[in-house]
Amino acid sequence: MVTELAGVTLEQVVASQAGLAAIGAGLAVGLAGIGSGIAEKDIGSAAVGAFTEKEELFGKGLIMTVIPETIVIFGFVIAIMLIM
Amino acid sequence: MLKPKQMSKVLLTGHKDVLEPTIETLHDLHALHIEEYVGEDYFHIGTPLSGADEGSKKLLKLRSIASFLGIKKPYHKPINARQLSSELEGKLETLGDVVSGKLGRKSQIEADLKDVQTEIHEIEAFSGIPVNLDLCRGYDTLHVFAGTVMKGADVRAGLAGITDEYQFITGNNGIFILTVPVRYRAQVAELLAEYEFGEVKIPTISGTPDDLINELTSRQDSLAKDLESLSSEIDSVKAEYEDFILASEELLSIETQKKETPLVIATSEHTFVIDGWIPDDEFETMRSKVGEATDNRVYATIVEEPVDEANVPIEYDNPKIVKPMEAVMNLYARPKYHEIDPTAFVFIAFPLFYGMILGDIGYGLILLGISLYGRSKLHGEGWNSLFTVLIYCNIVTLIFGILYAEFLGFPLAGLHGHPGLIPGWETITLFTGLGNEHITYPIHRTHLVTTLLVLTLLIGVIHINIGLIAGFRNVLAKHGMKAAVLEKIAWIVLQVGIFLLLFGVMGVVSSMLPGAVVFVLAVAMLVAGEGAVAVIELPSVMTNILSYSRLLAVGLSSIGIATAVNTMSGMAWSSGGIYIVLASVIFILGHALNTALSIIAPGLHALRLQYVEFFTKFYEGGGRIYDPFGYKRIYTEE
Repeated sequence: MVTELAGVTLEQVVASQAGLAAIGAGLAVGLAGIGSGIAEKDIGSAAVGAFTEKEELFGKGLIMTVIPETIVIFGFVIAIMLIM
Repeated sequence: MLKPKQMSKVLLTGHKDVLEPTIETLHDLHALHIEEYVGEDYFHIGTPLSGADEGSKKLLKLRSIASFLGIKKPYHKPINARQLSSELEGKLETLGDVVSGKLGRKSQIEADLKDVQTEIHEIEAFSGIPVNLDLCRGYDTLHVFAGTVMKGADVRAGLAGITDEYQFITGNNGIFILTVPVRYRAQVAELLAEYEFGEVKIPTISGTPDDLINELTSRQDSLAKDLESLSSEIDSVKAEYEDFILASEELLSIETQKKETPLVIATSEHTFVIDGWIPDDEFETMRSKVGEATDNRVYATIVEEPVDEANVPIEYDNPKIVKPMEAVMNLYARPKYHEIDPTAFVFIAFPLFYGMILGDIGYGLILLGISLYGRSKLHGEGWNSLFTVLIYCNIVTLIFGILYAEFLGFPLAGLHGHPGLIPGWETITLFTGLGNEHITYPIHRTHLVTTLLVLTLLIGVIHINIGLIAGFRNVLAKHGMKAAVLEKIAWIVLQVGIFLLLFGVMGVVSSMLPGAVVFVLAVAMLVAGEGAVAVIELPSVMTNILSYSRLLAVGLSSIGIATAVNTMSGMAWSSGGIYIVLASVIFILGHALNTALSIIAPGLHALRLQYVEFFTKFYEGGGRIYDPFGYKRIYTEE
């Protein structure tokens, strides 16, 4: 079954839709990852500074540092939903 | 388990005559956490027992010897303490003499060597000048210039305009010696200044530079040889006395610790009072042992008064198998006294999450091997805990690896006509999962994303709610039922509301109404319990649950790296010839990298799920460390 539409076959349309979805998924993870990274770099450097002064702060520092990581997890979930 | 060890506050009091046996007994018992006495009223801080000074002097001497010999702390067979104690004095004396002699010789040789090196350096500048350096000074009518001029300057040509009464000798290193009659001194100096003259001091030594250098170099060599033989002598002393030094350092530390104990306890003119904490089950033992040692002249009693939670020292109370996880707890914080001790939860959840993420037979075996080897080679409590935790984690990894049938990123079983690593093993389809995916054995993680995603979120819901129930218990003990329900149960109700709403959207439940009602109820409870701020916190319940999707995501990224390595090396391999070497290099380096990442990524993510998602539901931490009076012997035994 081939429907001609301005010289484009249906297969091509489906394929390019799948391609766009893949690009979207990539952007979702990639951009969310950059966002997490930017947020974590500031917190991380502060946390490292804090726990070199006071070692007991390691646990608290780790928690603070990884809080923005949730952003990239959201990106990942969206990406999976896009690809599925 | 689940609770720190129950502690009692105890007081021991008696006459000063029996202080020494009391201290002796308590030290051997290694159970009483002594509270340092700081007040100064009727009681005052005690004075060290007799012999404390002498002991610390010996200890100081021993430690300086140990640092001179460069003794590290390896593991040794313990030495009998009694025997050591009897021969310690004499042996330490001999050792001290031997070492101080060697120390003196060593510093003498080193000083000489340094002198010789400076001299060589000074004279080397004059090498190649065939003049005895003695002849270069001490004249009334002659002046000697020694030094360098800028490159390309022709000193002789310049001198021709002044006088021809001079002697000009150059050496190998661009230094010259110029001798002129004193009357031309000013003129020549001016000329040399034009050539950027830099004066070099002539060493006050007799002999030609080259002879001197030869002489000094041979002296330097012989000194270096002396130093070498001395350090081999020192090494043999070190080898001979190492055990003795380590053991007697320990022995003396123990002695000193005992003798200085009065410095932390309260004493009056004739009595002493020791204030401290002891685990409940050790109190009777302590009382009877102290009584035995002192003819019942020390009165020990439990202080029955309300205690501040913050003051109680915390000792974990976990079965042996759970103990290594305490290191993971300490990294965060020790529990408080009335809090649930979550070590047992972590013991189950941490290796489980790690294994779920990694789930690869190959990496599991490699890391299991590394951690078993490391545990046998590196001693000390920290290393031991670390490697034991890694062993737990990688046993679970192996189990999940069999479940997923993955080996270094290769699928072991075939799927859809793609053969696996083990020929003939085909994937069996069991039943249909979510999103039209087929649940199979072995589970192919890359083909079951939707189902596994939902599964990880379910694990998250279970984990978080265990945390909330633990939190309920903690708040109940501290602030009563009302606060516990409003602060903790409300979150569980909120989740029920969210799920009802979700089912409403999906059409599983016909109406959205029940979900909305439960949701609003939960929000009302939270606002009542924690104030309006709780509204800001509402989304956290969703982000926390979604966070567990990393159990799948991090695992997929690890498979991704492994597959990339396998594909690259496979491509190189099939090209044949020299490419086979390249393929091996890619394979080995790639998997080495991924193995290192396999400790870091699953480890940190599994740890984070404990610390961030789980602990924030109930755990405060910040208890004092229980540090019982006594000493853990390593190098000696009684």
